[in-house]
Amino acid sequence: MAGETSAPAVPQQDSRRDRIAFAIGVAGWLVPGLGHALMKMWGRAVACFLTVGVLVILGAGMRGNVFNSSGNDAFDSLGYLADLGTGTFYVLARALERDGSDVSRAEGDYGTRFLATAGVLNLLAALHAYEAARGRKA
Amino acid sequence: MNVGPGFKLTHLQAMLLFALAISIAFGFLSRRKPIERVKYIVWSLFLFLLIGVGIGWAMYPFSR
Repeated sequence: MAGETSAPAVPQQDSRRDRIAFAIGVAGWLVPGLGHALMKMWGRAVACFLTVGVLVILGAGMRGNVFNSSGNDAFDSLGYLADLGTGTFYVLARALERDGSDVSRAEGDYGTRFLATAGVLNLLAALHAYEAARGRKA
Repeated sequence: MNVGPGFKLTHLQAMLLFALAISIAFGFLSRRKPIERVKYIVWSLFLFLLIGVGIGWAMYPFSR
């Protein structure tokens, strides 16, 4: 009987760990580096925060295109998804770019790539934090 | 705060900053020991720049 009562504990623990891992992944997406910080991986947390932050500030400073939800084609939609990957830094990028984008110059075009890369990089970091929280890798 | 036209970077400067930021992030995410991270960052940065400059030169004959 003792075996019957202790058997369901493992799936329950797994389920709890999955929920925590998911929350850590979402936290890492919303604030770059927060997912790793919650797991006390300070070096990775600081590196994610700084690299994503620098890319967003440079991208917005170079007047790159910060895509919005009302895109005209698939590329605009993909750009919007990539930009959303920066989490709350998306709002920062929009706030920094009060004059709007200017992709008529090369700097604006580079800035667009910087912003998209920041988003994808942050999604990668959030996924890494999620996997680490599940105990798959660290 | 408006940093709009503040950053005027050349193509090379933009590539350097981009490569440096990505290399640092990749190094910290994929390696645990500090010395391994440094090695990975330096190697990754070198390859980013080498491939970037290489592709630039490869496109040069078709640029005009």
